[in-house]
Order: sequence, then C-alpha cells, then structure tokens
Amino acid sequence: MCEPLLRLENVTKRFGMTTALQDMSLDIFSGEVHAIVGENGAGKSTIIKIMTGIHQTTEGRLVIDGTARNISGARAARDIGIAAIYQEPMVFPDLDVAENIFISARSGWFLNQAQLHAEAQRLLGRIGIALDSSSIASGLTLAAQQAVEIARALSQDVRILIMDEPTASLSAHEAKQLRKVARTLAEEGVAVIYISHRLEEIFDIADRVTVIRDGIHISTRPIGDVTSEGMVSEMVGRDVGNYFVKAPSTVTSNSLLRVEHLTREGIFSDISFDLMQGEVLCMAGLVGARRTDVALALFGINPSSSGQIFYKGRQINPSCAREAMDAGIAYVSEDRRKLGLAMPMSLRSNVSLATLRSFVGRWGFLDQSLERMTALEYRDRLNIRAPDVELSVGMLSGGNQQKTMLAKWLRMKPDVLIFDEPTRGIDIGAKAEVHALIREFVANGGGAIVISSDLPEVLAMGDRILVMREGRQMGIVNSTETGQETIMRLATGQASVEAA
Amino acid sequence: MLHRLSPQTIRILALLVVLLLVILFFSTQVPNYLSGRLFNRVSSSVAIMALIATAQTLVILTRNIDLSIGSVVGFVAFATGSLITDNPDLHWTLLVAFSITLGMFFGMINGFFVAVAKVPAIIVTLGTLALFRSVLVEFSDAKSIVTANLPTWLINFPNTPLLEIGTLQLRASFAVAVAVVLVVHIALSRIRIARKLYAVGSNPEAAEMAGINIGLTVFTAFVLSGALAGLAGFLFLARFGTITVVAGLGFELKSVAAAVVGGVNIFGGSGLVIGALIGAILVDLIDSSLVRWHLVSEFWREAVLGGLILLAVTMDTLVMRSLAVWRTARSNSKEDRRANVQSP
Repeated sequence: MCEPLLRLENVTKRFGMTTALQDMSLDIFSGEVHAIVGENGAGKSTIIKIMTGIHQTTEGRLVIDGTARNISGARAARDIGIAAIYQEPMVFPDLDVAENIFISARSGWFLNQAQLHAEAQRLLGRIGIALDSSSIASGLTLAAQQAVEIARALSQDVRILIMDEPTASLSAHEAKQLRKVARTLAEEGVAVIYISHRLEEIFDIADRVTVIRDGIHISTRPIGDVTSEGMVSEMVGRDVGNYFVKAPSTVTSNSLLRVEHLTREGIFSDISFDLMQGEVLCMAGLVGARRTDVALALFGINPSSSGQIFYKGRQINPSCAREAMDAGIAYVSEDRRKLGLAMPMSLRSNVSLATLRSFVGRWGFLDQSLERMTALEYRDRLNIRAPDVELSVGMLSGGNQQKTMLAKWLRMKPDVLIFDEPTRGIDIGAKAEVHALIREFVANGGGAIVISSDLPEVLAMGDRILVMREGRQMGIVNSTETGQETIMRLATGQASVEAA
Repeated sequence: MLHRLSPQTIRILALLVVLLLVILFFSTQVPNYLSGRLFNRVSSSVAIMALIATAQTLVILTRNIDLSIGSVVGFVAFATGSLITDNPDLHWTLLVAFSITLGMFFGMINGFFVAVAKVPAIIVTLGTLALFRSVLVEFSDAKSIVTANLPTWLINFPNTPLLEIGTLQLRASFAVAVAVVLVVHIALSRIRIARKLYAVGSNPEAAEMAGINIGLTVFTAFVLSGALAGLAGFLFLARFGTITVVAGLGFELKSVAAAVVGGVNIFGGSGLVIGALIGAILVDLIDSSLVRWHLVSEFWREAVLGGLILLAVTMDTLVMRSLAVWRTARSNSKEDRRANVQSP
C-alpha cells in the first residue's frame, strides 16, 4: 500500500496516574475498513478521542498525509476530514434532517432551503438511505439518526470515518444496512475505523483488524489471517491470577432470589437464574450486553415486561426503587457521579441518604448526631480515608467515594446487593478492599450480584458467572471450571452453553 | 395529516385558536369589546412586548435566560430621555442608535459573565436585574423624564397611523415591532450562523463536537437580545413620555411568559420568533382585557399571567410527550412491518 492517511506514532496517553494508551502505533490507509477490537477499557475510546481532538497525546505524535499534525479540537479534526459516529448519535433533536447535516457548514451567509434539502437528499442517496430531509431529528430511529451523522460527515468531505460501536443499539437489519454504508464509503476511498464487539460483523466488513489490550497494541493483521479464537485470546491474553486472590466460597442452598424468564421488550429477554444465600453471582458481558438493564429491572427502576422474580420464595414485582428496597434489594450504580452520590453533600448525609427514615427522631427532625455516629462507624469499618464525615464526598478519591456508596447501601442491611462495576476507575488497593467487603457481605448471609467487565475480577469474585450478550443469557458457568477465553467466547457469541 | 406538520407549526396553530377563543370570551363579557379601538390599543402596547419577547427568545434558544431585560429597558428609556432632553435637536437616527448601543452594552455585560465566566445565566441576570436598576436609581438622581421636555416628533411617533382601514389603524410603533420580528424570524431560519443558536440550545455536547464555538454563540445571543431590549427602551420612552426609575419593572416575567406561551422551549433549541410574537399578543391582550372585565379585580392580572405560563408549559409538555410517544409507536410499527417482510 501507499503512504498511510493517518499514522499514530508511539502515542502514549496518561490521565493522572493511569495510563490509558502506551506506546501505541497504528497506520490507517484510505479505502480500508480497519477494525479495532479489545475488551472494555482496553483503550479504544481513548484512541478515538485522540483522533477527534478531544484528548491530546501525552507523548508521541499523529502523522497525517506524511506530516505531523496536532489535532487541537473538534474543529481541527473536521478540517482534516476526521469524523466519528457513536452508538448514541449526536444529533440536534430539535432541528430537521437537512439542518442537522449542514449544521457546521461554513460557506455563504444565507441558507437556501431548497438547495439544502436537495443536497441533503443527494448525500443520503449516496449512502442508500431513504429519509425525508425535513423530518425533525428527535422523531427518527437511532439508525436514521446515525445515517444523518454519516451524511453530515460526508458533507464535510470526510476522509477518516470512525464508527464506535455503531450497531450496538440497532436491529440486525439496520446493522446490516449500516455495514453496507461503511463498505460503500471505503470503496469511495474513505478510511473507515470500525469498532465493534460483534466479531461476526468484523469478519463481515473489515479489511484489517487491530487488537489492543490494556492500552497496548497487540497485533494488526489482514482479516484473512485472523481467526475468532485467535482474536479472543489476544483480547484477554494477559497474566491472570496475580491480581486477585480467590476467597473461599460461602454458598448455601437457600435461594434468596429466583429469576425466571425475565424479559423487557426490546432490551433483554429470557433471563433466568438463582441467587443463593452466601453467593456472589457475577454478570459478564461486553458493551451493549444489557446487564445494567437487568439490574435496573430487579431494582424496579425499569420494570420488566414479563417473567417472574421470587424473593425468598415470594413473588415480587418491583415497579419502583422504593418497592425493591422495601423487599431488601439494593443497587449500587456504576455511575458514581450521576446516579450514585450527591457529590457536594457531606459523607455523613450521603451515608444516611438511602435510610433517612431511620434517622427521623423526635418531632420529625433528623437526628444529626445519630447520622454522624453512623457515618463514623461505617467510615472506620469500610476504611474510608476521610479525616471527617462532614467533608463533601466530591473531595474524596474514587476508591473512597465507591466505599461511601457501599456504606450507604450496606446501612440499609439488604439481603440482595447488586453491584454495577464496583471497581471501575479505582486503584488496585481499593479494589481489593471492595472485594473483601462484598465477600464479607455474602458471608454474613447476603447474596450479591456483581456486574463487572473485568474478567480476572469476575473469575476471582464470582461463585458462578452469568454471561450475557445483546440482551440474551448465553450461559451460566462455574468460576472454578472456566477461564477468561470461555467467557469471552460466550460474550462475543462464538459459543453458547445451556444454563447450568 | 397531523404527523406531517412540524411540532412548531402545530404549536402556532394551537396558539391562534387560543387567541381566537380569548377574544370570543371577552367579547361576551365586555360591552363593545370588538372594536377598532381594541385593536389599536393592543397594537400599541404589544409593540414593546413583542420586542422584549423576541429578545428573550434569542437567549432562551441557547438554553439561557435574561431576567435583567426589564432593567435594561428602563435604563435605556431613561438614558435616552435624558439625552434628548439635554439635546433637543439631536437627529432621530442618532437617538435610536444610542438606545440600541446602550442595550447592546448591557447585553455584553450579561454575555460576558455567562459565556466567558460560565456563570449560570439565571444567576448572572438576577444579579444584573438588581444592579442595572440600582445604577439607574443613582443615575436618575431622583428625577423623572417628563413628556413636556421631549420633542413632539418623539411623542407623536408611536401613534402615527401609517395606514387606516376604517377605525383600524396600523400605528408606527406596531409596524416597527412587527418589522423587527419578521426580520429576526427570517434571519433565524435563513442565516447560517443563526442556526447555531438552535444547535447550542438543542444539544450543547453535539454542538461542541460539530466545532461550534458555544461561548461566542451565547455571547452573541445576549448582545443581540440587548440590542432589541434597547430598541424596546426607545419605544417605551416614546409611548409613555414620563419615565421614572420603575420603568420596565416586571418585564422579565412578561417576556418569559410571552416566549414560553408562544411555544419557545425553556430548555432551548426550539421555538419560533413568530410564536413569541403571538405569545406577546396573547399575554398583552389578556392583560389589557382584564382591566375592562369587571368581574375580576385588576389585582388578579399578575396571577392570571403566572397561571397562563404554568398552563402553557404544562399543556406543551403533555402534548409534546404524547406526540413523541405516538410517533415512536408509529415508526416502531413501521419498523416491525419491515422486519416481518425481511424475515422468511
């Protein structure tokens, strides 16, 4: 091939203490569909953000058309001809299709509506999408919104189109159509960078595949030289076992939670499992596996449309968080900032937030000294490093915030605790502490469901592992009898086992 | 049929129906309600309302709000009045230019704090609402502008009939306001950079990704809004002649009411200036009709205005939500049909 259109040369990106990308080198040629695969957190998003100017490299450089360039922001990326579309389309919901396509066009002062709509139709026609250019974007399907984004990129003479999990929220038919669009663009000379967890898609459209793992480039090969087994083992193939110590199992034979054929129309379907007292059940899967949606259904936030939930043998049907909490189910969210903690509020008020009722004292006032004592107790028990409980939690480190969130829910004394990515973004020491807390919780008679994308963690923590893929249960495996590759094969749909 | 119309068009049509209903209602309650005088009276007071509603709309579109607009109108009216009192021979173009420039200056102050210092607009303009008014009190030195000191051309300007059909008059101030609204309306739909106002309010994140300078866009919105408020200040002076330090008090409520009643989304991104104009007419019509309706005390006018805002926004939210649900259902059933055709 000739000179690459875009080359990453020894790019390193650090965020504070964590290294997201390490010495990454990559060539992108025009006219190719270049797939990038890796586990959650492998560094794919960071690569995209560097290419689109959202992040700057810490070390290394970007070479475009043979000259080193600095992509300083979204505008600079657009001028070079780099555009990205995401799983969640970035459209302007109040504007119509044509307005969305030409939002950042810069020629001319006045808009000629007729000409804009004609041009919009031409661009949509070029990618083979039939769409009325005067429809308002908020009424469009996700697939149509993505088409609008692609047309916008085309209107800006895109040369590198990054597609980040573009098909994760689409139906099979829509996904196929989108891949066709990607192929068409590549044939016209656009370099398409395609990121997907669906390995069969990659075999369908990619010319070359790059595997990255933990921010490091593992391999780049023509698609013909790649097998799905090889790809999966490269994605997970790190040293296992040294990170986490497997704790002795405390599983009993008392069922705490029994879920039968749980379905939420269009989101997930036919999820069935048993959670025993003393058990840690991990849920593994890739982006778009819908694990969080199952958790939210159990917690009553987004109730299921069919199927049954039995809690200690009694059928429950939580339709809001309060009902689930009253039954004894708690959910620790993955999004600390948005859903987990009230950042400006103190450690004390965060710990008492889920159980405020029990702090109401005489005359209906909150008993602040009881709140304070409770917060101090949990701070010491959970080893939250904060000099005082009046400190706002926004000032604590990620690990300590995570533990504060656990304290809030542990105070509720639930029987079933659902942890959603409990160790994401916290350091290894704090991870071990969180693991120990979860173990302690189940050893004292609780049951835990842990959603995690960290496979070594899943294997170390879980007694059993439920693997999901795109809203379907791919199987439940026993953690002592399985390895990372088995889970990855289930999660990518390369294999399936019947529920254990 | 309904699904072909844009939500905005549906809103405008609904507003016109409501406007008609209000007129019908008052015509049964107030004797001699339907007359040329009603139109003339409403048209001259609506001129100022239409301008401040338009000014407010520009800011709301970007997901911001301008609560200082009443203070700006009052300040500009007073300052313009002092200027012409001291220099009676000043040419009218200079006087208008002075009003607009002063308004823009206030807009720049608001815009600076919101767009550059990134302070929430509601806080910034709440502060400048008090600040501008206090400066006016200081500047006025406890004096008022009085009609006697103003040149006759200025006093006569607002009520000069440009066109007369029977008892209906097209008065100059109304003509100016409608012309401005039309120009802004056309500019918003036809000028490329104006589209950025909508984009920034509709999805700031996507706007940033599309390379739009959000700060500059918001700043521009405040400056343009200030210019329109300045022009409103000029009309205010011409209409009332007597200007005290309380001029323009309460305009923030009226301008926001007119805009949201006119279908401008308070969370930015959607709304038409024409809608704001109709909203202004509706608000002003109800306001001035209540004075003549003996069943209800005049003191209830504010309450009616407040109630109207609540009603308009609640209705809007409910209707738009069910419209969205209905449309999603429609497109889903279409999708299903397509999928059924695909599968063997």
